[in-house]
Amino acid sequence: MRRSRIGLASAGLMAVAGLTLAGCAAAEEEVATEAGDTTEEAAPAEETFDVYALLPQGNDQAYGTTYLPPMEAKAAELGINLTITNSEYDGDKQASECEVAVAAQPDGIILWPAIADTIRPCLEAADAAGIPVWVTNADVNPEDAPLTYGYSGTDSYGQGAASAEIMCEIVDGAEIGIIQINGVTGNSVATLRGDGFRETIASDCPNVTILAEQPGDWVPDKSQIAASEMLTSVGVENVQGMYAADDSMIKGGIDALKARDLDPADFFITSIGNTFLGNPLVVSGELDGTVFQSSSWDGENAVVGIYNAMTGATSQGRDDEGSVLYMPNPKVTAANASDADVAPEW
Amino acid sequence: MSQTQSLKLGSSDTSFLGRARLVVARRTEGRGVALLAIILVVVSLTQPLVFTAYPVSLGRIALIGLVALGLTAVILMGELDLSVASTLAVSGVVMALIPDVWLGILAALAMGLVIGVINAFFVAVVGINSFIATLGMLFALRGLAYILSDETPVRLTDTDAGIAFGQALIGPLTPRVLIFVLAFLALQIFVSRVKAGREFFAVGGNRQAAYDAGIPVKRRIFTGFMISGFVASLAGVINTLERTAADPRAGLTVLLASFAAAIIGGNYLKGGRGSIVGTLIGATALGVLQVALTLSGIQVPVQEIFIGLILLLAVTTDPASLRAVLGSIRSVRQGRSKSRA
Repeated sequence: MRRSRIGLASAGLMAVAGLTLAGCAAAEEEVATEAGDTTEEAAPAEETFDVYALLPQGNDQAYGTTYLPPMEAKAAELGINLTITNSEYDGDKQASECEVAVAAQPDGIILWPAIADTIRPCLEAADAAGIPVWVTNADVNPEDAPLTYGYSGTDSYGQGAASAEIMCEIVDGAEIGIIQINGVTGNSVATLRGDGFRETIASDCPNVTILAEQPGDWVPDKSQIAASEMLTSVGVENVQGMYAADDSMIKGGIDALKARDLDPADFFITSIGNTFLGNPLVVSGELDGTVFQSSSWDGENAVVGIYNAMTGATSQGRDDEGSVLYMPNPKVTAANASDADVAPEW
Repeated sequence: MSQTQSLKLGSSDTSFLGRARLVVARRTEGRGVALLAIILVVVSLTQPLVFTAYPVSLGRIALIGLVALGLTAVILMGELDLSVASTLAVSGVVMALIPDVWLGILAALAMGLVIGVINAFFVAVVGINSFIATLGMLFALRGLAYILSDETPVRLTDTDAGIAFGQALIGPLTPRVLIFVLAFLALQIFVSRVKAGREFFAVGGNRQAAYDAGIPVKRRIFTGFMISGFVASLAGVINTLERTAADPRAGLTVLLASFAAAIIGGNYLKGGRGSIVGTLIGATALGVLQVALTLSGIQVPVQEIFIGLILLLAVTTDPASLRAVLGSIRSVRQGRSKSRA
């Protein structure tokens, strides 16, 4: 008797779970339909499109949070029904999501590679199914580019180089040692920014020596620990500057200096992003310079790119004009940090 | 008294229904089956594409399930192996670093076995709790993967071989799915038909009794961890081939998904109860659900809420847990009524 009651309770719980699942799925469908209706009204073209956006981040990260709304708004405007996934920078998960996307046979795929080196099979599968792929934010490897219809986003290498140029300018020939905080190991943006900074420093101002490098994984807390450890290992007295591949990480680095009663204004510090965290640091003088990055530009142009690919405005490969759209990345220093055209977005 | 009653029940209820009831009562997959049934019904109504695009769904099930199968061998003995995700990553890197594909595969699989032996050594010989021992291995192997790969993904020398590996081999079935099926069959036969495999349950159910019964407990622990390490490295080899590169960060989401599949399938984390079939059911339920949620465009945080709720349901609807909860409620009530009196 008791066993049957337990069984009944279990069945009841399962049924509730099932109904919840069904309800949520139905709710999602309604939302999608509503979005679809809106886009049909707003679309300049009569045609509507189904597009999968395979992203490695979403509302779980600051950049993704401000990348998505402009992307969705642009999609609605152009009559595109977006299905967005988030692989959380797991290459295997994104590959599996790509398989699902290809099976759903959408009109196009927007791809922000989690790991550029592992994306080739996904591109091959989409190509075989005749689905155009537009790459956003972080480009694929050069040998894989012919399988895509184009790229929009940052010139990640150029951003690292721009941050290095600011560093060279403010150091003005002095012999100094700096520490470098990188993004997630293996991530293509992190790698390219790191390379851009390192190589530009080596060529433009060899008087600056990078004493140590550690990943901060785009996270302030982890960056603070990484900076603190590097300061200990190379000796605080040998460090006169710091670079981080992202404003949130430089915030952690600056906090590491403050924790040792050191004034960040006495150090040469540069970064990338001009975010809500970084811009006030530039204004206050704690951060000497950063590089502007627009998440809204990024999100919008991903949709514009795939729209051009689906309507035949750009063809496969990178030969067409407009198949590579680089985001403008102006340098931000105390001189222009309060200007409206470089107001932070994320 | 109770012994006599149970003897009577056992001897008198020999009808088909009675025997079927006994078989069902002994099985641990009931909740997994119920959950899978609900998921299949809901998904068939809301996202039928999950079934029409079944090769994709099978691929996702194999992705989650393969590591979970190896993990089950350890869980049945009441142990944990947290190092499976790092084993997957380091095996993939080792394989990609060796230019010859076949030699790379052999080296990666051997690496998995060695990792299993080291884990088992710490657990069975040194006597460290498996949670702590494998947690240490998790960090050590992840670090090793970063060092070996120079902190960047390692591309296969022969990327064409990798792309060819990802293609369907028999009908719509890719080598990943076929290897998963073979691994399932091998492990199922091992734990249900082979003496050494059946002894896993005894080791997990009551270790002292297993010692007293003459079961070579240490050897079984070594076998379990070696199976877990081997299967995780096999998953690493498959991932590396399919993606044409080895990512030192690979497997970040594999560990929790594998544990979830094993738990949903009715495997008891303290050991002694569970089955390989249950893990297959759990992996199928999770895989189908994940594909359906991806197709629906539901955001990852919401997906995680779904999976978390299902995991909680799977754990809390365990008859032993329910009995414990009911017992606690009863004792609290009795305590209150006594204090009032």
